[in-house]
Amino acid sequence: MAIDPTPTHPSRHGSVRVGRRGAASRFHRLAQRKQLLFVAPAAVFLVVFAIFPVFQLLRMSVSDVTVSTLNDTWRFTGLENFQSNFASPAFGETVLNTVIFVGIVTVLGLVGGLAAAVLLSKSGRWTGFVLSLLVFIWALPPVVNGSVWKFLLGSSGLFNSIGLETGLTTQPIPFLFDDSYALYSVALVNAWAVIPFNALVFRAAIMGISQEVFEAARMDGATRWEEIRHIIIPVVRPTTLVLLVLTVVYGFRSFDFIYVMTFGGPGVATTTLPFLGYVQAFVRFDFGLGAATAVVAVVMVIVLAIFYARSVRREEVHS
Amino acid sequence: MSNADVDTARKPTAPRGFAAMRARVKSPVATPLRAVLFLIYGIPLLWIVLTSLKSPSDVISSQSSFVFRPTLDAYTDALGNSGLYTALQQSLVIATGTMVLTLLLAIPAGYGLARVDSRLTTVGLGMLIVLQMLPQTSNVIPLYQIFAQWNLLDTNAGVIIADTALLVPFAILLMRPFFRAVPVALEEAAKLDGAGTVRTFFSIMLPIARNGIATTGTLIFLLAWGEFLYSVNFFLTPGNYPLSALLAQQVSAFGIDWPGLMALAVITSVPIMLLFVFTYRLLREGLTLGAVK
Repeated sequence: MAIDPTPTHPSRHGSVRVGRRGAASRFHRLAQRKQLLFVAPAAVFLVVFAIFPVFQLLRMSVSDVTVSTLNDTWRFTGLENFQSNFASPAFGETVLNTVIFVGIVTVLGLVGGLAAAVLLSKSGRWTGFVLSLLVFIWALPPVVNGSVWKFLLGSSGLFNSIGLETGLTTQPIPFLFDDSYALYSVALVNAWAVIPFNALVFRAAIMGISQEVFEAARMDGATRWEEIRHIIIPVVRPTTLVLLVLTVVYGFRSFDFIYVMTFGGPGVATTTLPFLGYVQAFVRFDFGLGAATAVVAVVMVIVLAIFYARSVRREEVHS
Repeated sequence: MSNADVDTARKPTAPRGFAAMRARVKSPVATPLRAVLFLIYGIPLLWIVLTSLKSPSDVISSQSSFVFRPTLDAYTDALGNSGLYTALQQSLVIATGTMVLTLLLAIPAGYGLARVDSRLTTVGLGMLIVLQMLPQTSNVIPLYQIFAQWNLLDTNAGVIIADTALLVPFAILLMRPFFRAVPVALEEAAKLDGAGTVRTFFSIMLPIARNGIATTGTLIFLLAWGEFLYSVNFFLTPGNYPLSALLAQQVSAFGIDWPGLMALAVITSVPIMLLFVFTYRLLREGLTLGAVK
């Protein structure tokens, strides 16, 4: 939201320029050149430690790199790594997992985030308390949240304890150890983790609506539900667009809950595409293969980033 | 959109009048739903604390879910282990180092990108968005190789650099709107008074943008505190792990000692809680400023 790729409009520049256009604009251009230097340290740092690694990743993906040849010269193998990835059935399963995972995280994250925002958009002590709880959960390290959920969903965890005590189940449900449950369990926990952030962003948009609008609606006898449908949802639509992309990216990048709760297992049941690359490189020590998977993930992210830039720009135009 | 957000979030809402009261009477669904929301987020927190106070045998029996004799054994065990202090120290060094280095790079860059209008700026911002979105699991693969070559593996510097590279794009994008909110006229006036670009930046821009700096700094510290993938892979021995990496390593092990683990989780969270208490307002508002997590 803070990010807007459109350059500053000239009209924003202060009144100093008026009437002394020629001198001021030369002065301005000179200042700009100096201001550009402020970007230089970060630019150099990012070129070395963020952009160069991406090139190195590309090189790795077309080479035969194992842990023993990591620091030798790499044998060029062309698209072999990509081919062996695409040929393996696990890869297809991983892509499907990614789609299901991102889908669940996105839908629940957006719907839950909006619902929480609506619930928390009225002021009050109780509301403020729940809001601070949500922000606190967001601030906690994912590894802490993941650990708790691993425990809560475990065979002696809260859910299974309740199920067994009340007689709803006779055996503990293997939420994280069963092929068919594990992916949904981890995705649900990830959605749980992203809702606080989405709720805060939605809430900021809802708080931007003038109180008079709601008062007028109430005069006309609108119910809260009608307010939500006819006032809140249209207002938050541009926000939703931005959050949609952000949540998709969040779900796609997410690895901490997977790492902590299942480490991609059982089998590859909870392995998403970015996690597969990690496992190939750091568990199976095939860096070339892992790099190839990572390159596929990076390409997908670039596509998403283009969508993001577009939706942000659209929102800027509207606001 | 950027700074309007902050203003609206700060504005006191709903004049506590008749309309507000009517609304409360009219929505009997909202209160129970709010309670549900509270439970969904409160129970996991409560559970961390409860479990950390149990003995291992109480954890396994489902009868003692709520009724058990609390014990501080897990904490005394954890605190008696000197490895914990090393991990805590590592967490502090890495999170603080990352925060300082990130701010040093991101504050001037955010300022520069807020003030210079050229095609270069647009390209730069686009690249920052892409960098910020790259999966960390992809970054770790080439970084491991590069750090091995540059002798940065198994050093705090390596992890700090990697965390900084991960978080700088986010920090710049977060800082930029704070600088953009400052009227250019203010700066130009300072320059007409004879202050150079650098001096204007330090004596005019930095003080005005201090809220943004505090927000960004807090967020970077939080994110660096929780980061574990780089730590787990770049430190060659668990002896150097920060708390988050220690927790990640123990939770994925077999035969987990749950009370011990939850005690570790609580210990990992206490500094975050302290920080949270002091920066809640900043966080609540900073988060909505295009924070991506």
